Amino acid sequence: MDTLPFHLRLPATLDSVTQLLDALEAHAEAAGISPGIAARLALVAEEVTANVAMHAVGATYFEMRVTPGEGQLDVCIEDDGPEYDPLARSVPDTSAALEDRDVGGLGVHLVRELTRDARYQRRAGLNRLVCTLPLVG
Amino acid sequence: MDITETQEGAKAVAVLDGRLDTATAALTETRLLTMLEKGSVIADLSAVRYVSSAGLRVLLKAAKQARTAGVSFAVVGLQAPVREVFEISGFDKIIPAFATRAEAAQA
Repeated sequence: MDTLPFHLRLPATLDSVTQLLDALEAHAEAAGISPGIAARLALVAEEVTANVAMHAVGATYFEMRVTPGEGQLDVCIEDDGPEYDPLARSVPDTSAALEDRDVGGLGVHLVRELTRDARYQRRAGLNRLVCTLPLVG
Repeated sequence: MDITETQEGAKAVAVLDGRLDTATAALTETRLLTMLEKGSVIADLSAVRYVSSAGLRVLLKAAKQARTAGVSFAVVGLQAPVREVFEISGFDKIIPAFATRAEAAQA
């Protein structure tokens, strides 16, 4: 049943991030996407779009597409903010002790670990993050 | 996010219900830190289906405040997607996690 595409374009605000997560939850249920995969999809959506909503000065919208593929979901998130490659952030030290832990960069780390082939493109004044989410495992 | 407070043995329990994300992080942080001022806290995440990095930041802050205050902070009832996020982030090594409130209360 994982044959439905998903597409939503919203103003670049934090309220929109919540709207996007609500819409993705409804979509996952309608498309028969398992709760585990749905949570990964929501995480990718939030980490990328919350960053746009909070830090991308001048961004007016973000847009997310999820296209079903062979055993995977193809994810594309775009925004019209200033050029910014979230994947360029350094990998956080996930083995540090409690006192030394900082969560900067953790969101992007989660996106990298939970998806495959994550890549960033700047095209026609838009930031585009593309990745695939395997439907198993 | 709904948060209800209850008790398990000598420890306070915060029962969280909903997504622990960018939108609910501030509210959750305020509640957990206020509870920690009075003593040890167990966060019951059985009804939390989703935690993002904004949510992890809240749990880290709670764990750090507990350490400073000399009380304990633990989580219980992690659903599989939440456990996955904990493991990828290395949080499974810095925040004690238990299956049940009773186990967390005795720890």
